[in-house]
Amino acid sequence: MHKLRDAPGETEAGLKARLEGVAGKSKVYVLGLGNTDRADDGAGVLVAEALKKLFPSYSYSEHDGVEGTVLDISEKDGDIVVFFVDASELHAPPGTVRVIEKERIRETEITTHRVAVALMASMLEKAGKKAAVVGIQPGRIEFMGTVTAPVRAAIGTVTKSLANLMRAND
Amino acid sequence: MKELNVEALARVEGDGGITVTLDGKKVKSVTLDVHEGPRLIEQLVKGMTPADDLNVIPRICAICTLSHRYSAIRGLEKALGITPPEKTQLARELMMLGENVESNSLHTFLLALPDFLGYPSAIAMLNDYGDDVKRALRLKKYGNHVMAVTSGRIVHGENPILGGFGRYPSKKALEEIKLKAHELIPDAVRDVELFASLDYPTYPEAEMLFMSVNAPKKQYGFAGESILISNGKEMNVEDYKKLTNERVVSHSFAKRSLYQDKPFTVGANARMINMGKRLDGQAADLFKQHYNERWLKNPLMNNLAQAIEMLWSLEHIPDMADKVMALEDPKIEQPTRQTGSGTGAVEAPRGTLYHHYEVKDGLIDVADIITPTAQNLDDIERHMKLTAERMLAADKKDEEVRLGLEMVARAYDPCISCATHLVRLKRV
Repeated sequence: MHKLRDAPGETEAGLKARLEGVAGKSKVYVLGLGNTDRADDGAGVLVAEALKKLFPSYSYSEHDGVEGTVLDISEKDGDIVVFFVDASELHAPPGTVRVIEKERIRETEITTHRVAVALMASMLEKAGKKAAVVGIQPGRIEFMGTVTAPVRAAIGTVTKSLANLMRAND
Repeated sequence: MKELNVEALARVEGDGGITVTLDGKKVKSVTLDVHEGPRLIEQLVKGMTPADDLNVIPRICAICTLSHRYSAIRGLEKALGITPPEKTQLARELMMLGENVESNSLHTFLLALPDFLGYPSAIAMLNDYGDDVKRALRLKKYGNHVMAVTSGRIVHGENPILGGFGRYPSKKALEEIKLKAHELIPDAVRDVELFASLDYPTYPEAEMLFMSVNAPKKQYGFAGESILISNGKEMNVEDYKKLTNERVVSHSFAKRSLYQDKPFTVGANARMINMGKRLDGQAADLFKQHYNERWLKNPLMNNLAQAIEMLWSLEHIPDMADKVMALEDPKIEQPTRQTGSGTGAVEAPRGTLYHHYEVKDGLIDVADIITPTAQNLDDIERHMKLTAERMLAADKKDEEVRLGLEMVARAYDPCISCATHLVRLKRV
């Protein structure tokens, strides 16, 4: 699960505006992170898997390899924005969604298991691309647990908002 | 009495910290405190079928997922009287080579290197060492790809099963990974040269004992039926309890290991010390060039050992892919008994990983997993204590001592999440 600094929550209309604000007219890529074995922790992957059905060339999940995917995107030409979608500790009720821009992502999130999203975002920035995290507050992250209702609803909202943006900017 | 703390140890997997207790300039104790909660995996799989166990056990770790799976397979196949076909064994070796490239590239470059170059993180290195970071990520991507081709997925692939593979990698996929390995070998050579050029502080140095598997046919490798000890002894993996002697300590959720009451080290440096003479190719040349007596006492040399090992793995992938391609897909071997016991031992990137099983009437009765980090923890603390004592005696500032301690802990490439799979917390 991604840990982020505090930031205000998004309504559905607010989420649309924030995503559009970050993306501008850039081509939108989505990279869903998390562990689907741990209930709500897999929210990002579930968003990405849903978007893959609509935009298979622009939607990736942790299962596709985070670093390789970012490396490939960073070497593409053109205006590009990458939204990392991940369960995030927002200190807010389950299902709360927030868009967090690169500057607010904690840099200490590098572990033996995962390269930091902050590093990925920095690499993209160095290559002239934009990046932000769409964080979803989980309610349950136990091993083999099921996704909670508020997070399931948030997954639907984020998927819909990103799909609309991907369609508009395609 | 004063405490010097590293409250959250960054750039390792899991939740741990370091506490140094000082009496004036005298170091009373140094502890690597594991805060990660117990995970009870061994109890969870009790009563499961061996096939179900294989779907749960790799969840202990998302990076050593194939090491956990392979070690479990080896233990369970022994318990059930299964002899895997040659192609199965070769494909398993190939997947381990991929995992080694994936894990060693991440640890050496993105977790350990910033300390040596004076940066707080790989992110801060991007401006000055952007090409090196990208090179590491290309290698990691490739390692991930080999894991996916062999096991079916990047993480928790389910193709490797008892007695065989659900599906063997296609000829096309194997040809692709061969080609790419050749492309990446020069990158890995540059990595070895970079790590050989680093200044490895002497503070943690002390005589060490190393353990690793003894790969068959006098070759270098990541699995075996016996354990080599750097004192010249060798023991069967079924005697793993005599080698590890697990115990619980009060300040940690992870168990600890001692061999003959002494701490020991497992990992790439242990493999190099026990099997380094068996290396071949450019990896052998570079090992001979850079190996010296400091490897026997300085845990920081594990970083260079991982870089050399990553090159060796890359050099071996094409040959292993050819061997897998040359054989027809065999049928899956079935159990010859439903009750028995067996121990698997493989070399995960961060050291020897044991999976012991007792199966009764086709169901798991006992599971015992001993991870590399659990074996290394006592030696990590020993070398951290020496580092603290010597740095304080040299009037180093607290911040320098903290960094020195973190470098020692990180050199072991610890996986705290793996190490805390089973310890009961008892408060009195």
